[in-house]
Amino acid sequence: MASLDVNPAAISLQADLRRRRFTKMGLIWLAVLLFIGWCVSGTIIADTDWSRIGGRSGVLASIGRYLTLDIGLFPELIIPTLETFMMACVGTVLGCFFSLPVAWLGAANVTPSKTILYPIGRFLMVLSRSVHEIVWALIFVSAVGLGALPGILAIAMRSVGFISKITAEAIENIDAKPVEAIRAVGGNQFQVMYYGILPQIYPVVLATVIFEWDINIRRSAVMGLVGAGGLGLLFFRQMNSFNYGGVSMVILAILLLIVLGEVISHYLRKAVI
Amino acid sequence: MNVLEVSDLKVRYSAKGPEILKGIDFEVKDDDFLAIIGPSGAGKSTLIRAVNRLVEPTGGRITLLGEDVRNLNPRQLRGLRRNVGMIFQEFNLINRMSVMDNVLSGRLGYTGNLRSLFRAFPQSDVNQALYYLDRVGLSDHINKRADELSGGQRQRVGIARALMQRPKLLLLDEPTSALDPKISREVMHLIRDIALELKVPALCNIHDVQLAKEFCNRIIGMQDGIKKFDGATETLRDADLEEIYAMEVL
Repeated sequence: MASLDVNPAAISLQADLRRRRFTKMGLIWLAVLLFIGWCVSGTIIADTDWSRIGGRSGVLASIGRYLTLDIGLFPELIIPTLETFMMACVGTVLGCFFSLPVAWLGAANVTPSKTILYPIGRFLMVLSRSVHEIVWALIFVSAVGLGALPGILAIAMRSVGFISKITAEAIENIDAKPVEAIRAVGGNQFQVMYYGILPQIYPVVLATVIFEWDINIRRSAVMGLVGAGGLGLLFFRQMNSFNYGGVSMVILAILLLIVLGEVISHYLRKAVI
Repeated sequence: MNVLEVSDLKVRYSAKGPEILKGIDFEVKDDDFLAIIGPSGAGKSTLIRAVNRLVEPTGGRITLLGEDVRNLNPRQLRGLRRNVGMIFQEFNLINRMSVMDNVLSGRLGYTGNLRSLFRAFPQSDVNQALYYLDRVGLSDHINKRADELSGGQRQRVGIARALMQRPKLLLLDEPTSALDPKISREVMHLIRDIALELKVPALCNIHDVQLAKEFCNRIIGMQDGIKKFDGATETLRDADLEEIYAMEVL
């Protein structure tokens, strides 16, 4: 091969750059490994009661207990499963309802006041998401008592953050031209939103709501752990009475419900988009 | 009689920003089809939007249909806007709505919130929409979605929507810029014929000087926020055009 006429300075510069990148990547990986090692030693090594785990067979036997199904529990499962499903649905609808004003406040281009209400809207979005659904459920159980209602409220509160954030972002990204047209025909604020903004954002919002509903089925299934209705309560009772086959039955019901939600949301999303 | 009188109109978009309109005077008579020509950035779009306060003027006086536009409260302003049909360069349709609903949206200024919510426009509005859709040649596309139409068809929807307002003035913001030359001519023909038929004056931004000469009875030439020419179409000389477009780099 004929030798190519290349500036030697350029060659050494390339070699230098490559060497430096190599060193940098090495250091980053080393730092990541050290960090993970530190976490493992702090949690698993220091924080586990190794003497109580016993032998390998003991661990396997404990897990094996869950590999039975208490078919007799089936009749008791139907109502809680249905309740779980209903809680997810009502909670999502309620969450959408709460999301509307929050999105309105938190979208920079439509908020009534950029200095006061916009930050409030943004704060509500963060608040909703930064509090776990179980914590929301605990709050509402103590406020309105046991049952499905606190679960529904918890799911609604937890849903607001995501739905309103995506909605607000969709509002911020709209095409201003139809809005201008509705203003030009003498439309009022409501008409501008309903005709100029809503048609542009509703596919995004609908897809988000379906996604959130799918997640809410999962959330709804654990609400009962703190007394807020649904399958979780049954799960809790089976666990407390050491009925491992019953626990597995409840888990199976949750699994089937989630698969059902997955399938429904798949087709709904297809219908929307 | 003057439908619109504008004097010493000034606009700047922000307190420290440049002045886009630097004191414009003109009037539109009730039989005018008035063209505003000028290079891009001359302030044509701003001027037309200042007339119905889609853009807030920062100085001067606008008298539209006998009302002092700058002194209207929001409700009065909406009432005035109902009388001014606007046609846009990019059509400004609601893409996900049907052609019919887009045309009916021209009546929103006359429609209450409850009716708006359910798109329950009065039968008379629907009849009127059918009439204008026929007039602009879209009878076969009434129930299509607006984004299924071609550019020329979309602009016809825009025209029908403006006519639904039973406007007393038409504001046209580059109605043909997004269309090819043949369709542009057809659309201008349609707008002018309808304007004559309904006896509605029009104020039309247009950068195609040829179209302006062909369709408009008067021409205003703008350059950098200042009016450079104002006169009957026949009086526009090549020298005037050269002055208007002097700063345009070709």
